[in-house]
Amino acid sequence: MTKLRLEITKGEEIRYISHLDYARTIERALRRTKMPLAYSEGFNPHMKLSFASALSVGVTSMAEYMEVELTDQVSTEQLRMALAQQLPPSIVINRVKEVVGKQAALMAVVNIAAYRIVVPWQTVEAPEAAKIALEKFNNSPAVLYIKENPKGRREIDIKNYIAEAVISNPTPEGINLTMLIKITPTGSVKPSEVLKVLTEDFALPVNSKSALIIRLGLYVETDGVRVSPLEMR
Amino acid sequence: MIKLDPSWLDNVTKPSRYTGNEWNMIKKDPATVSVSVALAFPDVYEVGMSNLGLKILYNILNRINDVVAERVYAPWVDMEAVMRQNDVPLYTLENMRPLTEFDVVGFTLQHEMSYTNIINMLDLAKIPLLASARDEHHALVIAGGPCAFNAEPLADFVDFFVLGDGEETIGEIANAVRTWKKSGKIGGKNAILEQVAAIEGVYVPSFYEVSYRDDDGCVAAVKVIHPAAKAVVTKRIVRDLDTAEYPTKPVVPYMDVVHDRVVLELFRGCTRGCRFCQAGILYRPVRERRPETLLKLARQIVDSTGYDEISLTSLSSADYSCLHHLVTDLIQEFKNQGISVSLPSLRIDSFSIKLAEEVQQVRKSGLTFAPEAGTQRLRDVINKGVTEKNLEDAVGAAFQAGWSSVKLYFMIGLPTETDEDIRGIADLAYKVLNLYKNIKGRRGAKVTVSVSSFVPKPHTAFQWYGQNSSAELERKQQLLKSLLKDKNISFNWHDVEISYLEGVFARGDRRLGQVLLEAWRQGARFDSWSEHFKYDVWMNAFKKMNVDPEFYNLRNRDINELMPWDHLSSGVDKKFLQREYQAALAESFTEDCRRGKCSNCGVCSGLGVKIIDWEGKA
Repeated sequence: MTKLRLEITKGEEIRYISHLDYARTIERALRRTKMPLAYSEGFNPHMKLSFASALSVGVTSMAEYMEVELTDQVSTEQLRMALAQQLPPSIVINRVKEVVGKQAALMAVVNIAAYRIVVPWQTVEAPEAAKIALEKFNNSPAVLYIKENPKGRREIDIKNYIAEAVISNPTPEGINLTMLIKITPTGSVKPSEVLKVLTEDFALPVNSKSALIIRLGLYVETDGVRVSPLEMR
Repeated sequence: MIKLDPSWLDNVTKPSRYTGNEWNMIKKDPATVSVSVALAFPDVYEVGMSNLGLKILYNILNRINDVVAERVYAPWVDMEAVMRQNDVPLYTLENMRPLTEFDVVGFTLQHEMSYTNIINMLDLAKIPLLASARDEHHALVIAGGPCAFNAEPLADFVDFFVLGDGEETIGEIANAVRTWKKSGKIGGKNAILEQVAAIEGVYVPSFYEVSYRDDDGCVAAVKVIHPAAKAVVTKRIVRDLDTAEYPTKPVVPYMDVVHDRVVLELFRGCTRGCRFCQAGILYRPVRERRPETLLKLARQIVDSTGYDEISLTSLSSADYSCLHHLVTDLIQEFKNQGISVSLPSLRIDSFSIKLAEEVQQVRKSGLTFAPEAGTQRLRDVINKGVTEKNLEDAVGAAFQAGWSSVKLYFMIGLPTETDEDIRGIADLAYKVLNLYKNIKGRRGAKVTVSVSSFVPKPHTAFQWYGQNSSAELERKQQLLKSLLKDKNISFNWHDVEISYLEGVFARGDRRLGQVLLEAWRQGARFDSWSEHFKYDVWMNAFKKMNVDPEFYNLRNRDINELMPWDHLSSGVDKKFLQREYQAALAESFTEDCRRGKCSNCGVCSGLGVKIIDWEGKA
């Protein structure tokens, strides 16, 4: 019995597939490896596979985390080699690590996500206006936002989920925003929602419809120390 | 190549319909090929990706070194709006290439209600809609699939049709196009049309002229007006399916599609002889693959896709001669890999239940049976060789094996049908409920009665029969509804207006082309999706073009009438269909020629082909 934790990517070509589709893609790739995969018991067996945190449709990622269980001893290198051959070019394995002993589920421990948003200017290059918008957002004690989904409307304070001040780097084409978002047991906020608030309520002069969003990483923060799920002990 | 802008895709539903890059996708450099074909499915991605025919053609074409086949599906209405707004032409998923860059755009015609989507896709591709408006600089627009057997309503739009099995024809067409291109397209578009007209199974509608009678509007004659054209175009057929190429590396979609699993085609053709069934005529005769070939194919496809389910498909999979043996072998081989086997269609007998038990193990998700008609008399009319006793035995076996929900499929509007037959449907549903009570000693069965409206199809024994009017079908639906009052019976029925229109186009002629165009102009598309079906638009289009739809669907036709599709042959003699219509009215049974007596339909002798059935030989 082996449990392996992988750090993988979700590239540009598949940014529009859903989390469920992404998970199914990995599952099929794993099945193609013919590795001794572990399945749940019962009449409808499922591959023992888990993911850290769902990624929104349209978002690419430089570091997603997943765990897979195998019934036999399989080395990190064996799995990496076998799986790499079966993955589409848009999914790359960065690192593989064996999970030793009992560890909490990935889903439960990941509590910070880092994002970069690359977004073009609305009309003309306006770094000054962008700077003012960001300062205002970062200095606001609370930023209310109405989250809408098929189940209903809910007002949240976005700042409750922003771990650090949002950093902005203007370029001639637009700006790059970097943000750290908290994932809590009671919810979180999407980077696209932060961008929406920035343009609508803080007059950030960008064209949010043409934004590219990249997840830079997922982290486990405990007592002020932030590590990736692979460095976790 | 089209570069997709995030602002287009961020705001449409299911954007991965439009981005390709799936596992096993074949991407060739367009600069390295001589012939490029866009395989087009006139419905959304998740429907189109489930079609076996296009998978077969994709594989065959791409195996030819200097030929490329790429895929394109109908964009959903939200994506269409985005494409029109941003002036994005319809493109293929492999190389994001506009369709105008292809030599051939090939559509599959699975049902009549997809016709406006074909026009819409051509328009989105910026390809002139009318064949007569396209020259050698435009893509050749071709079409195949079951509806090609009455291609006439699409004759204005399509350069040529391909009848029957496409495995061999498609390569011959690619060869002809290659030669023509290498010659510098000498002789223009007419030259390539002449070339392909010589290929068995290819129908070039512009080489024929149709005239109509002044008195009653029926077809007077279909005249050959080009020396290269044959008087009758007969379908192509693969004699030995066992050696035919089969796609062992199918494209694996990212998103959930209708049939997202390994598809194993056990055999082609079905000769049970149900008189309403068009597929039963078009795909004759039965040609089975060998069980060892199927096992090998299953292994290869599982290895190349990573799917966790193998589906055994055919027109009636339960009729496969080595089914039990095959199912046992598949389960044995794949159970340790977490792969299940499924049988989409069941026969109404206890053998099928035993098999269903084996493949489903303990997941009793519900069984589907298709008695098709409510009384023995009407089942005899349609030659559905199933008795009430068969159904009782099958359902009884299912209940005993632990199933408790059963779905029953019926049709209404069949020839000779009376209210007695409608009541028979309700009676059967109640009998099934009571059977459960008798076997289990308690209530608890769930019965779903699903009723579709019969649409007479060309090339069947019922091609002469006038379809029931919408009012009559609705009356029958209401009657049945009033009879199914038990809370354990649920009742589904189909929109009669869609069936009405399907009936018009199924047996239509060339005069419907203008109606199609007008309805599309007024906004008709995705007509098989009830949320998009616009009955009023269609009725306006008929009125504006001065075409009476009921001439096509509701009229009883004279047995000697010249049909608009009589020059397109499935290999089955019209005389056989006439005999079968008479047999229907006489309520007499015609045996399945697969193992019983030959009924002289004409296919085997006419096409030089024979039934391949491994019973007792494997």
